[in-house]
Amino acid sequence: MTEGLTRRKIAWTELGFVTAIAAGVLAFLIEARGVSLDPQNLLLLQPTAWLVLGLWAVLAFGCLTRRVPAGEAPRETAADVLRILALVLAFGLFTAGLEQVGYDVAICAFVLVALVIGGERHPAALLLFPPLFTLAVIQGFRLLIPYPFPTSVL
Amino acid sequence: MIDTTAFGAAVALLAGSLDAWIWVVPGLLIGLLFGALPGISVSMAMALVLPATLYMEFLPAIIFLTSVYTGAGFGGSIPAVLINIPGTSSAVATTFDGYPMARQGKHNEALGAALFASCIGVLISYIVLLLLVQPMAEIVLRIGPYEMAAIGIWGMVLLGSIGASSVAKGLFAAGLGVLFGMVGMNTAGYMRGDMGIVWLLDGIPTIPAMVGLLAASQLFALVNAKFIVESEAERSISLRRILAGGAMVLRNPVTLLRGSAIGVFVGAVPGIGSSIANLLSYGETRRNAQDPESFGKGDVRGVIAAESANSSSEGGSMATMLALGIPGGGATAILLAAFAMHNVVGGPRFMEESRDVVYAIILSNFAQAAILVVVGTLFVYGASTLVRLPLRYLIPSVLVMSTMGAFAIEGSIAGPITLFVFAVLGWLLSRYGFPVAAVVVGLLLGRLIETEMLRAWQLAGGDPWYVLNYPWALAIVGLMLVSLGLSVRRDMRKRRLAAARS
Repeated sequence: MTEGLTRRKIAWTELGFVTAIAAGVLAFLIEARGVSLDPQNLLLLQPTAWLVLGLWAVLAFGCLTRRVPAGEAPRETAADVLRILALVLAFGLFTAGLEQVGYDVAICAFVLVALVIGGERHPAALLLFPPLFTLAVIQGFRLLIPYPFPTSVL
Repeated sequence: MIDTTAFGAAVALLAGSLDAWIWVVPGLLIGLLFGALPGISVSMAMALVLPATLYMEFLPAIIFLTSVYTGAGFGGSIPAVLINIPGTSSAVATTFDGYPMARQGKHNEALGAALFASCIGVLISYIVLLLLVQPMAEIVLRIGPYEMAAIGIWGMVLLGSIGASSVAKGLFAAGLGVLFGMVGMNTAGYMRGDMGIVWLLDGIPTIPAMVGLLAASQLFALVNAKFIVESEAERSISLRRILAGGAMVLRNPVTLLRGSAIGVFVGAVPGIGSSIANLLSYGETRRNAQDPESFGKGDVRGVIAAESANSSSEGGSMATMLALGIPGGGATAILLAAFAMHNVVGGPRFMEESRDVVYAIILSNFAQAAILVVVGTLFVYGASTLVRLPLRYLIPSVLVMSTMGAFAIEGSIAGPITLFVFAVLGWLLSRYGFPVAAVVVGLLLGRLIETEMLRAWQLAGGDPWYVLNYPWALAIVGLMLVSLGLSVRRDMRKRRLAAARS
């Protein structure tokens, strides 16, 4: 549907995002009320949660009635978004793998993958930078922090 | 005010001791380096060098530690400006305008402004300390939960909608941050939102969450760019432009003095100090500006306000430590530990009996601030090379360093997990136009406001009118409402004028 120079376009992903957050806030409020209805538990939590839920209604309405200029080009290409998602996924796997495969292996693998995602194709850089950087980080943090962290190789 | 005999003795003490001076530059450098490392806090840097002070004389040991404190106080602003990482909660507001300035190729000016605002802030705070150490400490003792809650709400109101594309989005983000701040066990013993995860009982780890929201989320979005500064011509590192940034500080004396005053007095309050002072100073500067919409987009006044406040809070926290023996935060707690290592007990008696030593510590901090201008300029010059590093190397390096920093702070995988979760959340929030900074402010102030409101509620036995017994809290709220009213009136007048012109 178009009107003048703008057309209506429901912002589905944004709507999904704010709704997911609002659902989380509602779950938090229900859980907190389940713990106790004592004002000392809900003094600030309950009014803040109601405020956020009220604002969700305003934002959701805005997402459903959004107007964008006709023929507006998207801000990023699909490849750009995919590259960001690949980095997010790699970072998530890196975080999950820290204690499983050891901090050294996880760091080395993540740096290598992130370099490739970032566009580095030079074999020498891909071969040398990740292990050297890992060595510096692991040894540096061993000197700095008093508690141990699991490593597989170093 | 000043005990001239003790002051003379302090000058003689410093003039006759080479030991008191040789540790200043190494202390500043250690502080700068550790402060600039994401996740390494001021107190951690001081804790690491504390054992080295065991075999020093008392005065050189304290001067060495305060040098580390001063250096780290500024060091935190370097990653805040260059990569949007607030190493500590006291550098959060520096990211709001420092990082946008860096993205525009004004990294030299931003760092120069941060450095000069820090040095002058430290200097002002120690001048105040020299003149008003005792009355300041007495005022701090009168600040109770009502006043603290009022200060927290003031910060929230000033910054709740920072950088938002709409009021609803700003409030939504701020409310979300406040709710994050309330996860875990509150001071009344109720456990909420911990989802059965043991480490969430203490609440969401603040620094990893903050780094995730502000920095890691930005790094995800930068994966498609080549450098932090897009234009090659703007990527230069220039001493002249760093000094020009310093000159900008001198051209904004009101911002500098306001930030320093807020820093000294709020910094003196034990427990919150610099983490709230920089936010309040930033918020007040934005509210008083003729063009508040330029804040958050690379306005140098934002950097000056934040840095002058967080640096001057050092003098404030030293006042409570020296005069009352109460550590305002981790750094002053380590200083007190150094006192104890040398069989010295901080507090009123120390102030009374060793006034010459107190003056010597204050005077050496004047010198530290002056030396930091030189050492800091050289350090900044070196650190600015970050903008020349290709992002494909910088992104994984900073993400790994932040993760290790998060681990270092928490001592467990809780830090890295929090960092990742909040990085993803921060990226999604900024993608859909929500102000991430408002979430951070809510996260920092939410727990503080709830804790102080609970204490006030318990003191009052649930009677809301009990607040009438706390005129200072009412005065803070009154001032906040008056200043808000004036801002709204000014905005409406501006809008009317703009409408009349068009």
